[in-house]
Amino acid sequence: MTGKGYIMNDNAVVFKGTKEGLYIILKEELDVSVIKNHLDKKIRPSKRFFEGAKIVNFKGKRLSREEFDELKGIIEQDYGMTFTGSYNELSFASKHDREEHSDTGILEQLPYEHVQKGEALVVRATVRSGQLIDYKGNIVIIGDVNPGAHIKAAGSIIVMGSMRGIAHAGVNGDYSAFIVAFKIQPMQLRIGDIITRAPDSISPKISNPEIALVKQGMIVVEPYLPNK
Amino acid sequence: MGEVIVVTSGKGGVGKTTTTANIGTGLSLKGKSVVLVDADIGLRNLDVVMGLENRIVYDLVDVVEGSCRLRQALIKDKRFANLYLLPAAQTKDKNAVNPEQMQKLTSDLAEEFDYVMVDCPAGIEQGFKNAIAGASRAVVVTTPEVSAVRDADRIIGLLEASGLRNPQLVINRIKIDMVKRGDMMNIDDMIDILAIDLLGVVPDDDMIVVSTNRGEPAIANEASLAGQAYRNIVRRIMGEDVPFMNLESDEGFLTRLVKMFGFTKRR
Repeated sequence: MTGKGYIMNDNAVVFKGTKEGLYIILKEELDVSVIKNHLDKKIRPSKRFFEGAKIVNFKGKRLSREEFDELKGIIEQDYGMTFTGSYNELSFASKHDREEHSDTGILEQLPYEHVQKGEALVVRATVRSGQLIDYKGNIVIIGDVNPGAHIKAAGSIIVMGSMRGIAHAGVNGDYSAFIVAFKIQPMQLRIGDIITRAPDSISPKISNPEIALVKQGMIVVEPYLPNK
Repeated sequence: MGEVIVVTSGKGGVGKTTTTANIGTGLSLKGKSVVLVDADIGLRNLDVVMGLENRIVYDLVDVVEGSCRLRQALIKDKRFANLYLLPAAQTKDKNAVNPEQMQKLTSDLAEEFDYVMVDCPAGIEQGFKNAIAGASRAVVVTTPEVSAVRDADRIIGLLEASGLRNPQLVINRIKIDMVKRGDMMNIDDMIDILAIDLLGVVPDDDMIVVSTNRGEPAIANEASLAGQAYRNIVRRIMGEDVPFMNLESDEGFLTRLVKMFGFTKRR
């Protein structure tokens, strides 16, 4: 019991790197005074490391304006970080975040920046024209997705083959969702409510694996192993 | 018990009927008993391509409705032994029969014939469902056009969904010189997308138009390049391992023709 309690409290404050910058994820169940305590415990020993860091915003816990201002003040004055977000931009925990949060005990042990956990539907087939795969998690296709086929996932889409159809990741508005394929030659890519389509001119054949993700409000397709 | 093979494509005009007629004729030339079934009710043409339209008395719908016996509706081909045609009705439409009736019909035919070749109508509606109902094997025909390949892909998905796994592909009307110039989809691209086994590649051949209009399947014409391709397809259907014709070579038509005759002599 004590062991579990320790792990849970250890996650009272979690720093999470995203494309926009660092977020501080606060455990929802805990009181702000406890959170302040944990914040101090976490930052104080490596204060110099955190100094000058850019914090985008808090996440996870529902904060009142006073609590927000208090925490923001501590972060800026006591620890010397810059805080760019405002109270209005504060996003509260979605179900997705909460699940992720309770798992950070495991995930935090991994020394990587981009680690996500979620359910996945694994399809081992060629997805053909007229076929729709719709799933409330991630989708993994072991095979090709042909023109006219439609893949819809609440999470990310991974195609171990050619992506030639329509891929819609993060259908519920999750902009951190992405689309990966060994070959991306799609009719259309959608992430959240952002839509992009293939250029009308015949595009050059790229045979490297690529990833499509949201950068500055646009879908960008790039190699995910740029050094290869 | 014979095999029921459906020839389908999704898109119209890619050569389903021509393929059915030629494969059927080819199988009968190989000594098999064959019946061609025209499932394109309301838009029949298999009888025309086979040159048998004047002999139709009863049709598929008559058989299904019980207005005649199955034997009465079968038309014996005028040139090839062991080759029969069950024509479609022209005055009805696709809803005149249902999949259960087609299943019964084709299984009755499979009792008597080695091969039952079903010519599927274009589209994915009732006619398609009827045509594939009794089939145990499917041949998907496409041409090197993006639209035809797209439809073939859809059809393959539907065939798999109704339990017809591993359909085989016939690429029809390919023009090698256009492929070489990069103006036409090449065979590898099509197989890459469709991801099914290739049964054969039929080159574009003016002879097909002539033979279709005359009601004589091109497969019987030794000089026709398409006929040669169909002869190879027939042998592959019968389980033989036949190498693909070398259409990509740089040699001229004459050389190819000579080679082809050499090939036929050796046979």
